[in-house]
Amino acid sequence: MRIRVYAASFCSFENIDRDGYMVLPDGAVLDDVYKRLQVPWLYRRIVFATVNYKKVSLKTRLQDGDVVSFLSALGGG
Amino acid sequence: MKGTMGKVLRVDLTTGDIRQEDIPDEVYENYLSGVGLGAHYLYKHIPAGADPMGPENILGIVSGVLTNTGSLVTGRWMAVCKSPLTGGWGDANCGGTLAPAIKQCGVDAIFFTGISPKPVYLYMDSAGAELRDAAHVWGKDAVEAEEILQQECKTKKTPKVAVIGQAGENKSLISGIVNDAGRISARSGVGAVMGSKRLKAVVLQGSGKTEIADGDGMKAYSKEVATKVKNANLPKFFKGFLFPYLGLLMSKQKKVSAMDGMLAAMINKKYGTCVVNTMGMTNGDCPVKNWQGSVVDFKKKQYKKLNPDNVLARETRKYHCSSCVIGCGGICDISDIKGGKYAHTHKPEYETCSSFGCLSLNDDLDAIFYINEMLNRAGMDTISAGNTVAFAIECFENGILTEADTGGIRLKWGDADAIIALLEKMITREGIGDVLADGVKVASQRIGKNTEQFAVHVGGQEPGMHNPKLDPLLGIHFSDPTPGRHTIGGAIYYNSMHLWKEVSWAPEVTKYPKAEEYIPSDREALKSIAGTAYKMLTDSAGGCFFAMILGVDHWNLFKMLNMATGWDLSADEYMKIGTRIQTVRQLFNIKHGVDPRDSIPTGRVKGDPPLTGGALKGITLDIEEMVRLTWKNFGWNENTGVPEDKLINDLQLNELIE
Ligand code: SF4
Repeated sequence: MRIRVYAASFCSFENIDRDGYMVLPDGAVLDDVYKRLQVPWLYRRIVFATVNYKKVSLKTRLQDGDVVSFLSALGGG
Repeated sequence: MKGTMGKVLRVDLTTGDIRQEDIPDEVYENYLSGVGLGAHYLYKHIPAGADPMGPENILGIVSGVLTNTGSLVTGRWMAVCKSPLTGGWGDANCGGTLAPAIKQCGVDAIFFTGISPKPVYLYMDSAGAELRDAAHVWGKDAVEAEEILQQECKTKKTPKVAVIGQAGENKSLISGIVNDAGRISARSGVGAVMGSKRLKAVVLQGSGKTEIADGDGMKAYSKEVATKVKNANLPKFFKGFLFPYLGLLMSKQKKVSAMDGMLAAMINKKYGTCVVNTMGMTNGDCPVKNWQGSVVDFKKKQYKKLNPDNVLARETRKYHCSSCVIGCGGICDISDIKGGKYAHTHKPEYETCSSFGCLSLNDDLDAIFYINEMLNRAGMDTISAGNTVAFAIECFENGILTEADTGGIRLKWGDADAIIALLEKMITREGIGDVLADGVKVASQRIGKNTEQFAVHVGGQEPGMHNPKLDPLLGIHFSDPTPGRHTIGGAIYYNSMHLWKEVSWAPEVTKYPKAEEYIPSDREALKSIAGTAYKMLTDSAGGCFFAMILGVDHWNLFKMLNMATGWDLSADEYMKIGTRIQTVRQLFNIKHGVDPRDSIPTGRVKGDPPLTGGALKGITLDIEEMVRLTWKNFGWNENTGVPEDKLINDLQLNELIE
């Protein structure tokens, strides 16, 4: 299955294609995305990713077409 | 043309003549509406050398192509004029409820010329327009005047009102135009121009519809956008105390990457812009102590009082501008502050919290709420006023201003009462207030004594509260034809917009070293140009900056423009329109004798001298080279900023500028 990944700068982009997708085997969970992105252990404690803009656990099973986004600091005024 | 009303209203305030003018399709095809239509109209009709406060200046109140079309987050309007603050192109963007009302009255824009012999307001509905006596509201603040005019003009519907407060009446060059009880189009001195014309207000009571080409398509797309935004929510554990840590994390990052703009919506929905109050202290975004300090001068025990949760504690309901699903605004109860002078206020933006917080070392959040309402009612720009107050405090600290000059006010960093007392004088132009009411550049000229060293401005206008040393692309955008405007763009915004997916020449971003942003390059210049051109399209469509930074994956302007107009233009073709609008804004400045080189940030804004503490310690930007490369890539002369003949030919601007 293909999921859309908006990774953060502390991630490895190796497993993300040009269009921003990652291919995963059926049954993969959010934690598999963390592993493929090589999210450092420290960051796992202080940042979080959403699946389809909802906070879910690392054990959540992903579906084809899901969107995984990392919360990044963005500001404006 | 579909999406537009095909005409504008022109009001000559000297003679009282009011007429509708048809706008040829060709103008919309080349400039869209909004700021594009305004740039074309003002370039054509304001003669070179016109006095910004004189009868020849034109004040435009413009809507956007997508406004009132069923699209989402497209209810912003803009005021455009020749700016009395900078002497060049002036514009100011605003939310609230006015934008659709312009089109509901059957026009895309209202242009005022001349000077009325007495205070008047314009009343317009679907049947026509007339000037009415405004003596009874002249002298009233913007909120009071709006209420009175809504009462007296009410029919079935409550009319929408754009109005100036006392600052605009007193022709303060840092005054704006207010709607919906305190939403202000604040920048460029647009309120002073309205005041100079003795035009107190515009009252709109239309009910017309805007025809678009693909109504069903727009409806379906709006539903898609709304569903995504509705589902995007910050998890409950996410609290205000976390933002300084996020800021810290950001400042330590050696690499940056493309981001999901929808995450900005999550933050904006809950907090609005005030998250930067504390996040910006740790990453260095917040300018401190008149742009000379850092978190070392405004420490955690102070800035934590401006924690976004403390701002939210006063919010009684969320506020959405017209057609907005994000709703970054809020209405806040302030009835317990200063004896209950004001019952409520719009939630102060980050810009206000910062310009009256860290910039003057003030940690009194209640005072910031109070100032917010006081200035919204007076119709004074909080960014410019905050910079001016900080300038005055520094003058006082250095013995250049004394109590004898200030009428007994002892100006001191962090003294909220003194700040409020000074602002009261600025609004009424009493004593020292008259010296300061026109912003820092004019104030330093009036005071002399080498005070220009404390006067932080870009091309005459006080910069927004974002430090370009954190995001150098923002520094390039500060050199915009409306200098000092922070809502054009920046790398952080570019990285969330994903324009490269649609625009062939927009540099693609995956992940790159943060250090790259500090090295002048053609790539960074192209990012700046793409961001600018897209922002011009957003401002011509009536779109909000916070929708723009959702990115094309979530809020696709190109798609919506095609659905509204029935065109089938590519993103590249639209970006050419954006480039044309930006070039005409630049040409406006050239025509009016403004040297673009004077709009390049200098001094403290670029880091000269560099900061000695905080996350941005020791940084001086090579902003001249960055701007030079941007101009070159735009097709403007790299040394002078004057658009080159080749570009003028390509954009078919010969006829306009002849
Ligand atoms: S995001 Fe905020 S500023 Fe933008 S339109 Fe919505 S409420 Fe207004």
